[in-house]
Amino acid sequence: MESFLYDYAWLIPVLPLLGAALVGIGLISVNNVTNKLRQLNAVVILVLIGVAMTMSFALLWSQLQGHAPYTQSFEWAAAGSFRLTMGYIIDPLTSVMLAIVTSVALLVMIYTDGYMAHDPGYVRFYAYLSIFSASMLGLVISPNLVQVYIFWELVGMCSYLLIGFWYDRKAAADACQKAFVTNRVGDFGLLLGMLGLYWATGSFEFAVIGERLEELVSSGALAGGLAAFFGILVFLGPVAKSAQFPLHVWLPDAMEGPTPISALIHAATMVAAGVFLIARMYPVFEPFPLVMNVIAWTGALTAFLGASIAITQNDIKKGLAYSTISQLGYMVMAMGCGAYSAGLFHLMTHAYFKAMLFLCSGSVIHGMEAVVGHNPVLAQDMRLMGGLRKYMPITATTFLIGNLAICGIPPFAGFWSKDEILGSAFGANPALWLVGWLTAGITAFYMFRMYFLTFEGPFRGTDTTIQGELMAAAGAIAGGGSDDHGDHHDAKPHESPWTMTLPLAILAIPSALIGLAGVPWHNRFEHLVHAPGEAIAALAEFDQTEFLIMAGSSVGIGLIGIALAGLMYSQKAIDPKAIAQKIQPLYNFSLNKWYFDELYDRVFVVGTRRIARQMLEIDYRVVDGAVNFTGLVTVVTGQGLKYFENGRVQFYALIIFAAVLGFVVVSSL
Amino acid sequence: MNATHFPWLTVIILFPLLAGLLLPIIPDKDGKTVRWYSLIVGLIDFVFIVYAFYTGYDLSEPGLQLVESYTWIPDIDLKWSVGVDGLSMPLVILTGFITTLAMMAAWPVTLKPKLFYFLMLAMYGGQIAVFAVQDLLLFFLVWELELVPVYLILSIWGGKKRLYAATKFILYTAGGSLFILAAALTMAFYGDTVTFDMSAIAAKDYGLGLQLILYAGFLIAYGVKLPIFPLHTWLPDAHGEATAPAHMLLAGILLKMGGYALIRMNVGMLPDAHARFAPVLVILGVVNIVYAAFTSFAQRNLKRKIAYSSISHMGFVLIGIASFTELGMSGAMLQMISHGLIGASLFFMVGATYDRTHTLMLDEMGGVGKTMKKAFAMWTACSLASLALPGMSGFVAELMVFVGFATSDAYSTTFRVIVVILAAVGVILTPIYLLSMLREIFYGEENKELVSHEKLVDVEPREVFIIGALLVPIIGIGLYPKIATQIYDSTLTQLTAMVRGHVPTLVETAKTPPPAIAGVSMAPTIGPD
Repeated sequence: MESFLYDYAWLIPVLPLLGAALVGIGLISVNNVTNKLRQLNAVVILVLIGVAMTMSFALLWSQLQGHAPYTQSFEWAAAGSFRLTMGYIIDPLTSVMLAIVTSVALLVMIYTDGYMAHDPGYVRFYAYLSIFSASMLGLVISPNLVQVYIFWELVGMCSYLLIGFWYDRKAAADACQKAFVTNRVGDFGLLLGMLGLYWATGSFEFAVIGERLEELVSSGALAGGLAAFFGILVFLGPVAKSAQFPLHVWLPDAMEGPTPISALIHAATMVAAGVFLIARMYPVFEPFPLVMNVIAWTGALTAFLGASIAITQNDIKKGLAYSTISQLGYMVMAMGCGAYSAGLFHLMTHAYFKAMLFLCSGSVIHGMEAVVGHNPVLAQDMRLMGGLRKYMPITATTFLIGNLAICGIPPFAGFWSKDEILGSAFGANPALWLVGWLTAGITAFYMFRMYFLTFEGPFRGTDTTIQGELMAAAGAIAGGGSDDHGDHHDAKPHESPWTMTLPLAILAIPSALIGLAGVPWHNRFEHLVHAPGEAIAALAEFDQTEFLIMAGSSVGIGLIGIALAGLMYSQKAIDPKAIAQKIQPLYNFSLNKWYFDELYDRVFVVGTRRIARQMLEIDYRVVDGAVNFTGLVTVVTGQGLKYFENGRVQFYALIIFAAVLGFVVVSSL
Repeated sequence: MNATHFPWLTVIILFPLLAGLLLPIIPDKDGKTVRWYSLIVGLIDFVFIVYAFYTGYDLSEPGLQLVESYTWIPDIDLKWSVGVDGLSMPLVILTGFITTLAMMAAWPVTLKPKLFYFLMLAMYGGQIAVFAVQDLLLFFLVWELELVPVYLILSIWGGKKRLYAATKFILYTAGGSLFILAAALTMAFYGDTVTFDMSAIAAKDYGLGLQLILYAGFLIAYGVKLPIFPLHTWLPDAHGEATAPAHMLLAGILLKMGGYALIRMNVGMLPDAHARFAPVLVILGVVNIVYAAFTSFAQRNLKRKIAYSSISHMGFVLIGIASFTELGMSGAMLQMISHGLIGASLFFMVGATYDRTHTLMLDEMGGVGKTMKKAFAMWTACSLASLALPGMSGFVAELMVFVGFATSDAYSTTFRVIVVILAAVGVILTPIYLLSMLREIFYGEENKELVSHEKLVDVEPREVFIIGALLVPIIGIGLYPKIATQIYDSTLTQLTAMVRGHVPTLVETAKTPPPAIAGVSMAPTIGPD
């Protein structure tokens, strides 16, 4: 039975692919029929991903029982003596990722039925979701770097398609292109790093690269600096995909996509792929302190950057997006500190609680749309929310659970994983710990700011003056892209249908409890997933005093943050506007996202356009000009101008042709 | 020396030509008979191709197969000699495939349909002949012969500036051909024997100086066709004015003739010169990739944009040819096949879009996705294929070129690093221009002015079928590249081994034991299980 399971593990990504292909072909060939079947398509796709999930959990169970890793491969491309294989590997890391991806995907798909119920693109959305799941699952089972790269790009493509799902919105159109191109910048590094490593080691297999690279460096055949450089190039891939500084700019814009995909792709799975790749490449990175430091500091900086921007965001999804950036920063920092399993543990807990938070925000938006209409400018702005707990109790409760998890309040999931990261960071470099610790405080503050603004206090949704202000502010930017139909305006928001609240309720369970899998005195997670080559016995020691100090300090700053948020946004004891006034430059710096977009726009976008235009000018005037000039001179001097004007230059061709024929004939005489 | 088997290649070449000659006498009142007739002729010929190769071609054999040779003019040893090896056979299949589809794409052509289809059928045979003939003089003849239909198609069925474009095309390519003729004659008369037989010519031992001159001549001729910067400016003009079927042939097949001839003659016949010239090819390749990507980004005319993207993609062919590795060579070949399919599909979509919007300027489009949903999906698929998305053929080809060149032992490390980095810049630039193009055509709000005077309708089943037919091999090769690479692997392996024997540095290192790193990278086998 078990060997059967492993032999057919390739079905896990193939099943959702089949579903997507089936629905996709249906959409292209018999569009009307497929669209009419609507939920039937969803059911097919759900069943397939359900089967994949069952298999994934079975594999996870088997790995928990200590089954040896399993690899299967076939020859994919060949040229001369070069052979490139593809295949799949099932080891603890893969099995955990499979379980995360399939379970979140399944819940998000159930949720989608409610969220997208009235969207004309309902079926297409399911097809995209399914093809994304297939690509993501293919990514996590990849046994070598090339295959990772392949699926890496494919998940990027799905992200592109899904961000641009509402393609008639200008913001979505810009965002999807930005996401793809920014990711390509990262892939550029990944590709170069991959080529460099292959040139040096002759292999694309993770373990083999690591081993040979160390050999080459220690024997002096390869400069250590060069090897580290290759490592950093590879790391550029995760920098883009996991939205790390300085390539994080695409993720907040990606919120233009429908909320279910913000939860699935841009919170739980795809953005975590970068962390996953670092984990896979761990044997390559680990011997080079330079690489590890770059990774750790990139992560720390990103964690702080994300949190510092999240404080001032008013769009609920944008706020969550920056929080995701910040949390991904934690994971990357953990990897750089050598806290391999801590980083992955946080990946897992974060996947669940952040997916839930996003789905909650979707539920909130869904509720708000009943009041303010289908306009993202109004429906997503927290200044119009407030008091929603009364109307949406399930959403509010689950959001609160997610909040407690992300703030690191015990015993919720985030506490255990974040605490482990901070502990390891302290061991690696106290400065890193300090950044992480401060960020934890900011996180608690902005998350509860979000909670209070959304769910507590009076409901402000019907306040037309705020609405007017928001529309005016957006009008200046977006040209007033409102698609109101005039048929809305319930006075009160309502709780979402059960297809949306059920996934929330289910996700609340791991968000609250899954951290218990990694309690420091009995770390089952670390026992399962640990860095290649690391002995498990070395991990097992547990220092209670150290744990209490670390945990105490991080819970402490978290509580301070929550208290502050409470004073400012719930009790109104402190006026946030007054503070913003006092530190105006800092406030604007945060509100404008550290001016990254403006900077990039001015330097890269405008720069590229200018170079392109100049190149075209050169092509037109110089290269082509020279040709036309020569052509003209010949024609004029050859008195062939009349042919030119009559357009009978085909004579030239015929003359040449006749000459050759003549040559043949003459020589045959 | 007659062939002992059925003369398949001759039949494949002549059948469309002869069938085309019957076109004038076919009664055609509603204009539909002619197109069905031509399409069926194309299909039959394609079936011939597939059948002949399926039954008569041995993949493990690197040399020429299905050889036929009939003496034509004994005095100058001119023979009708045809044959295919791994280099020409996939391109013959590609030609049959694309030309048949182009015939189907030509449905909307209503002006002088008989002449049009005759020219298409003439091109069908002519193109295959270019890939199949094994006699240098004959090669020159069919190379020239095949220009005439293209010229006429451009000048009769083109856009407003069609005469300028057609003239430019003919001057460029005919000018280039003179170099072929000169070089061919030199090679034929060089030495003791006068022969035009390609293998006999390849076997002659030219001095290095002469080889370099000949190489330069060929390079100019084929550089025009491929095209290579700075000989490329005819292409945007030709493409800017051509109709959809002509596009498909231009991008799908004609450009590949340049690459094919480069490998067949420059590499295969003048290996010593190739060893000296290769760095130039690499640099030109990089220039092609980056320069054309930028110009494509700046273009506002859809056809010209795609034309420049073709130029950019051909850069990889050059780098692959000059890599001196089996992998790079194989990648170059695959890039030609892949671009043949992708370029044809993109240009077909351009034509289909133009039929509806009646404009090619991006500024006059916008938000078309709302009404043309299927066209949007197909455009997206083709663009993603063109930007080398994994799972499609372009990615595999580019990856092979990248890995092949990066591990090439014929160049210094610095040179390789710079080239690989610059070529990889193309990886960033390609999505920039292709995705902005998609955004400007399909995304955002509908362009009110466009909608007000054009009735936009979605693509019809015929068009879906054509793109579908092109996507099947694109995705098929992307998912499992061996289906394409194994066709030509043996031939290219042999060719690469031969060329490597002519690179001075490689010959020297082969004598001395390789250093540590090279030792590892010489055994690039991965995945022991």
